[in-house]
Amino acid sequence: MTDFLKALFLFLLSFNQSYAADVITQITAHLAKTEITQGDFQQEKRLKILRKPLISTGKFTYHQTKGVIWKTLTPVASLLLVNDTRLLTTQGEQAVPSAFGKVFNAMLGGDLDQLSDGFSMSGSDQETSWKIELKPKDELLKKIINSIVLSGDNELRLLEIHEAGGNITLINFAKITHPGQLTPEQEAEFEHLSP
Amino acid sequence: MNIYHPKASAWLWLFGMMVISILGSQALTKDWLETSFLSLLPATEQNPEIAKAIKQHNEMMARKVIWLTGAATSQAALAQAQQLRMQLQQSGLFDRIVLEFSAQNYLESYQQLFSFRYQLLDPNTKQTLTQNPKSLIAQNLEILYSPIGQIQSSDLERDPLLLFSRYFNSLNPVKLNVEQGVVILHDEQKYWVVLLTDLQENSSKLEKLEALLELAGNARIQVEASGGDLLVSGVPLFTAAGSQSANQEISIVGIGSSAGIVLLMLLTFRSPRPLLLSFLAIGCGMFSALVLSVLFFGKINIITLVFGASLIGVADDYAVHFFCDSFGSEDWNPRRGLRYILPGLFIGLLTHLFSYAGLGFSPFPGLQEMAFFSAIGLLVAWLTVVMLFPVLLTGFKPEHEPKILKLTDYWQQRWPSWLLKNRRWLSVVMAVFIIGGIWQLTPRDDVRLLQSPPPELLNMADKIKKLFPLSQDNQFFLVSGNGQSDWYHNEQQLLRRLEVLKHQHALKYYQGISNYWPIEASQRENYQLLKKSFYESGLLKQYMTDLGFGDAAFNAELKRFLASENESIDLPEWLKEADESRRQLWLGCDSGHCLSIVSLTGISDLSALAGLQNLQGVSLVDPASDLSALFKRYRIRASWLLAGAYSLVFIGLGLKFGWRNGLAIISAPVIAALVSLAMTGWFDQLFSLFNLFALLLVLGIGIDDAVFFFMAKDKRASTSLAVTLSAITTLLAFGLLAISSTEIVHAFGFTIAVGILTALMCAPLIGFRDYKVRNVKL
Repeated sequence: MTDFLKALFLFLLSFNQSYAADVITQITAHLAKTEITQGDFQQEKRLKILRKPLISTGKFTYHQTKGVIWKTLTPVASLLLVNDTRLLTTQGEQAVPSAFGKVFNAMLGGDLDQLSDGFSMSGSDQETSWKIELKPKDELLKKIINSIVLSGDNELRLLEIHEAGGNITLINFAKITHPGQLTPEQEAEFEHLSP
Repeated sequence: MNIYHPKASAWLWLFGMMVISILGSQALTKDWLETSFLSLLPATEQNPEIAKAIKQHNEMMARKVIWLTGAATSQAALAQAQQLRMQLQQSGLFDRIVLEFSAQNYLESYQQLFSFRYQLLDPNTKQTLTQNPKSLIAQNLEILYSPIGQIQSSDLERDPLLLFSRYFNSLNPVKLNVEQGVVILHDEQKYWVVLLTDLQENSSKLEKLEALLELAGNARIQVEASGGDLLVSGVPLFTAAGSQSANQEISIVGIGSSAGIVLLMLLTFRSPRPLLLSFLAIGCGMFSALVLSVLFFGKINIITLVFGASLIGVADDYAVHFFCDSFGSEDWNPRRGLRYILPGLFIGLLTHLFSYAGLGFSPFPGLQEMAFFSAIGLLVAWLTVVMLFPVLLTGFKPEHEPKILKLTDYWQQRWPSWLLKNRRWLSVVMAVFIIGGIWQLTPRDDVRLLQSPPPELLNMADKIKKLFPLSQDNQFFLVSGNGQSDWYHNEQQLLRRLEVLKHQHALKYYQGISNYWPIEASQRENYQLLKKSFYESGLLKQYMTDLGFGDAAFNAELKRFLASENESIDLPEWLKEADESRRQLWLGCDSGHCLSIVSLTGISDLSALAGLQNLQGVSLVDPASDLSALFKRYRIRASWLLAGAYSLVFIGLGLKFGWRNGLAIISAPVIAALVSLAMTGWFDQLFSLFNLFALLLVLGIGIDDAVFFFMAKDKRASTSLAVTLSAITTLLAFGLLAISSTEIVHAFGFTIAVGILTALMCAPLIGFRDYKVRNVKL
């Protein structure tokens, strides 16, 4: 019956009540909160073992209730769909816990309070920009991730993931817009996530 | 038979009972009550291998209880699960309570198996490597470029092809959601936290099962009070619910028939002596039955006791005949009375023992137990009446003429003559009724009817099955082979076919260890496959260079690969690292013959799976339908047994009383049996093997009634009273079985009740003409 051990290897997070410091509340107040956020991303993975970074670009769509579409266009086209309970990739359903979906949702949706249970947070807030550092509380997650750093203005602009082994992932967001409704194509993609 | 030493007989009886009491004082201090319903069923008739596998499977399942706490948020559900865990720990009922799954074990197993990454390829990777190695690169790039690739690529340095991450991922085809080490499921409304428990060994003890039910009930109230929801399921709960209803049925049947006996005895004899003596006979019979059954079988099932309780009504018959005879003649005394009724009692006892022998002849351990229990109970009750009553009834002679005697006398005269007067149209109506009813009989042999769990329990089990994707179905494949490699190939062949069926949606998941542990030869093949497709073809170099690995990294990887050429992991070593559910799939090798289980989940097309049985060494085990098929075969066999029993009794009666008389006597139980069957048909009652066994008992009771009337001669009045009284008590006992919530017990009770009533209606016809002829002459 201990079949589910597999998933343990993955994130073991939890989030719920908000307990964020005042600064987080202030920052959150800056952030645009709309039902839909979409834009372009450029992701740069700096793996210690590799001599050049892995750079990919694509488009993302965040929907408050439906989840996130992460569409990589270069160098290899792929599609990743995630919500609170499921995570789908081109290779099928992945054993990544809902926690991950929540991190994604919280970051892109500007609802940082959600993260305070799984991470200790510290931040700085200037007039036009802000920065938050998240450090995981979970022992197993600490072995994989050192910290996650978010920064931006009225939008999230940069996401940095510092892995315990020294690898770094940088994700830049650009051309962020908040359309009133999803395109039919986006609707269709979210459809895959519905159970 | 010499019955002229009443005192000596009484002493002998007393001595016998003392022996039984001494035996009982030893036998009943051990744990003698069996609550598991599975032990009532026969082992399937297939080969011992399958029987062993089923047994192993059942033993494992008999201890598992799964709990799901549900709430609107996962946090609230978790809080409730933690509360529940504390409660479960305090109860001391469980060996194992798992809420969080230890990350430590998991990491250890990861590290142990990691060094065999070139040998342990999952079936998908193997296929990709064989067919199109380049698509492996494409898949890897997708993982590496994905924003969530951190985990899969965390060992990129030591495993640039991500082989082990693929293998480890494949170990778990079912994706479960884990937060803080706790499994969290969800449906539209709620989050559910899973808690797995194993009951302690010997948990089938009644007190423990009752404690479990109580615990589950209390926990449910508590969780619900805090706004949550609790689902519980597991074999022990079903067993517990079954035992509980059996217990209630024992008391209802016991109290109901006892109360009936008390009332009838007091009304009829207006003296406490017959009542006390009746209970002495019944008590001694039941006690001896219990003691000897426990000595003989080791343990006795609670369902046997339900049937045993109904024996009260039959065991009472002998005493009733004895007492009623006292109304028969003016100068009655116990010795004379006994001399008069003994032949009838003796034939009655023989027929009953004969019917029970028929039950004992069946392959059902449960029925054998019931037959033995009932036979001993009746025998001892009979011996008590015959050996002890003459002494204890000294001076007993009721002065009054009870009203019921007048009533039964009136009835035994009027009823047969009415029947005879209207026999033309009556026989037509009866024929139509019987044929019509039997025409409508539809056998149902489903073994699941043996147990009728409360709907609440079934609902919860269903809901858990829907929520929890790992709940295995009851059916499984058993794979065997001569030696490990033969077994491995058989299982692999099955798994390949199952994969195809999975894509056709015949089932959701399957699990066989050969998909996770390739045999040593396959491990070498895997290594060679990698060597050919990546390490020697230049593809690895190209892939690593494109990604940005340096030459040093490439050389290091090549060195690691070459160094592990002769590595391999054997099955015991692999099983040590596997989790429990995998280990349970391996049944081991016995003198070169190896066996494993392939478990199945979410079957939607069983016949497609059954079609795979023509594969070498593969059999589909479906305990429920195997048993149902067995029930069916035995229903047909029991029909012959029944016909044989009726014929044998007829021959016995014919030899003793002449063929004409024999035919008259046997007609009572025959008509009773036919009417029972017809009523079962008309009322669409369950018709299975067990109705036929009930008809065996109808034979005993029907013969009892008929023989007493046949031998009554001028004592028909007192005989009719005795037969009526004993029919009523028996009816109370077996009829009360008809209230049972278990369908099969209910059908048993229904059949017997109708049979007794019909036999009672037929009995006065026997010897009626002679009686009338005699009376007219007078």
